[in-house]
Amino acid sequence: MSTAARPRASIWAYRSLIWNFAQRDLKSRFKGTALGWAWSLMAPLATLLTYSLVFGAFFHSPAPGFGNGRPGFFPVWLLAGLVPWTFFLVTISISMPTLLSNGSLLQKVYFPSFAPILGAAVAILVQTLIEFSILAVVLILFGNYGWTWLLFPFWLAIFVAFVTSIALSLAIMNVHIRDLAHLTNVALQLLFFLTPIIYQITLVPADWHGIPLQSIYRLSPLTQFVESLRQLAYDLQVPSLATWLQLLAWTAAAISLAFFVYRRYGLDIGEAI
Amino acid sequence: MTEYAVRAENLSKHFHLNAERHTSLKARIVRGRLPRGEDFWALRDATFDIERGSTFGLLGQNGAGKSTTLKVLAGIYRPSSGTVIVDGRVSALLELGAGFHGDLTGRENIRLNGAILGLSGKQIGAAMDKIVDFAGIGEFMDLPVKIYSSGMFVRLGFAIAVSLDPEILMVDEVIAVGDEEFQRKCFDHLFDLRKRGATIVLVTHSLGLIRDLCDRAMWLEHGRIKQLGPATEVADAYIADVNAREVQAHQASTIEETAPADESMRPGSGEVRITSLEYLDQHGRPSPVLLAGAPCTIRMHYVAHESVHHAVFGIGFVHESGTNVSGPNSGRQGSWSVASGVGYVDFVIDELLLQPATYEVSTAIIDRGHTFDFADREFGLRVRGRGYQEPGLTRMPGLWREPVAVPQTATGPISAQEDVSAER
Repeated sequence: MSTAARPRASIWAYRSLIWNFAQRDLKSRFKGTALGWAWSLMAPLATLLTYSLVFGAFFHSPAPGFGNGRPGFFPVWLLAGLVPWTFFLVTISISMPTLLSNGSLLQKVYFPSFAPILGAAVAILVQTLIEFSILAVVLILFGNYGWTWLLFPFWLAIFVAFVTSIALSLAIMNVHIRDLAHLTNVALQLLFFLTPIIYQITLVPADWHGIPLQSIYRLSPLTQFVESLRQLAYDLQVPSLATWLQLLAWTAAAISLAFFVYRRYGLDIGEAI
Repeated sequence: MTEYAVRAENLSKHFHLNAERHTSLKARIVRGRLPRGEDFWALRDATFDIERGSTFGLLGQNGAGKSTTLKVLAGIYRPSSGTVIVDGRVSALLELGAGFHGDLTGRENIRLNGAILGLSGKQIGAAMDKIVDFAGIGEFMDLPVKIYSSGMFVRLGFAIAVSLDPEILMVDEVIAVGDEEFQRKCFDHLFDLRKRGATIVLVTHSLGLIRDLCDRAMWLEHGRIKQLGPATEVADAYIADVNAREVQAHQASTIEETAPADESMRPGSGEVRITSLEYLDQHGRPSPVLLAGAPCTIRMHYVAHESVHHAVFGIGFVHESGTNVSGPNSGRQGSWSVASGVGYVDFVIDELLLQPATYEVSTAIIDRGHTFDFADREFGLRVRGRGYQEPGLTRMPGLWREPVAVPQTATGPISAQEDVSAER
């Protein structure tokens, strides 16, 4: 079997197409709306306000102190967890239907199925970078910054690779098994509360009916990503080498999964739709 | 650069036909595996080459595998077995404007489409002016494409596909869109591309296009190659087969179709009436269709309730557009007596001048001012061609002569022209 009718597929060779898909997503998403781009910040802002109100003001959830020694402020601490979570959530939920909505195109022209998914991820990354910038500005206003921030690009690269790989695998499988979109929606909701975003991980009992619950929590890649970002940005501490290795291991696993899924299921998208 | 732009060997493509195309988790869990569907071979063991710079036509009935072949060549489908090598940058025109996004402007869509076709930003920028010019949609270029008319949509799509200088262009029956002027522009461009050495693979039902544009053609039937060779030969064989098929399919229904509803309701005194029409081909065999340009016979069956003298038989052909095309009658050959009983009258045609179309046929039996029978457009006639189609309802027999140069005289070219027409 030969696929010589198709050009050699490497992500690099398709960077122009991926960027064009990203531009399309960015341009079309808020076109015709009065506030335009400002809308992209509304959703995270609303989430932040809601949780700050409910957990910060009503339940008096404590926030750990800033890395610079000042007492913590719950909304800022929450924001540091919400931004990475939002990137994860939005990338997956937007890229899952991407192949189906590009279905007519995939049946008329050949391009690798990863291109529109990566394009969607790039578009969301642009928004996420804006959110991270806001987080940085807020932290600087609180006088909470340090050299640990220099490790942020490294953390971000690993995180983006992890999230994109998961999104790619889910989006391709979604073409073959349509139940997946619904299943994923449910899973994402559960995952939000199973990840220490609105509460500190120290609240999770270390021993719950004989189950080492907190240790299990800490194994979750999302917990690790959120916790390590808070360490870097909020606590101004460098995560341990073991944490970094675990992050890399999870990401390597996710990339392998994406490769397997793409090779096995992602090459015949044109006829599976 | 090799001699061939496309080489396909034992190319096959099959699809699983599942009643429910998309597997659900439930099905997987309950049955433990993918439900097995029926296999459908859209393309089977096709071996063909397409020379670089040539134009290759694909023809066949609907579902014969033409589009599947094109999609395999364009890389949209992977072959199930066999090999295919496509050497050159492919631009596939399977549907104009397939990649357009309604909220983006024409210009933004050009960038997106160019990227989908595999061009770099620089290449697209270089082609931008040419595309804008070719599409000819003016200031609409900077407005979102969702407000475009369907014609503008198509213009932009075609302009993108052909302006990006493809090495191999795959076209699927898309040229039959747009207004007359744009169509002509498209054809000119296809001819131009061909001249510049681009390889074109064309799926079309227009045999004229196959003959005019293609060097070689492949006729597919049920996913297999039926004939592969010079375009004209394949097109001839194909149309002959289509005509034969239609004859066969309608053979059984011939009599019923040409039988009128109720003779007694017709105008006329009714002593003698036409009961049915029969069309005989050049070999004298009954046929449901007649071939344009071929000899044929129209046999009018009649029933005479009493014998009549001085009967003149006539036929009228009415084109589907409503135009009365021709109305021959036997009056010039005198009038005949018809004995009571049944019989028939033949109208023998040396060369059928009607162009391929569907006609309604009227018949009449008259005697000077008196009408015995008049069947107003009660019968039908299908005329089929051999693929050539001149404009108009009938052919005009005639012979063209080579151009004759007329030496310039003192009286000037106008009077020279008059001289020529006077000679004729």
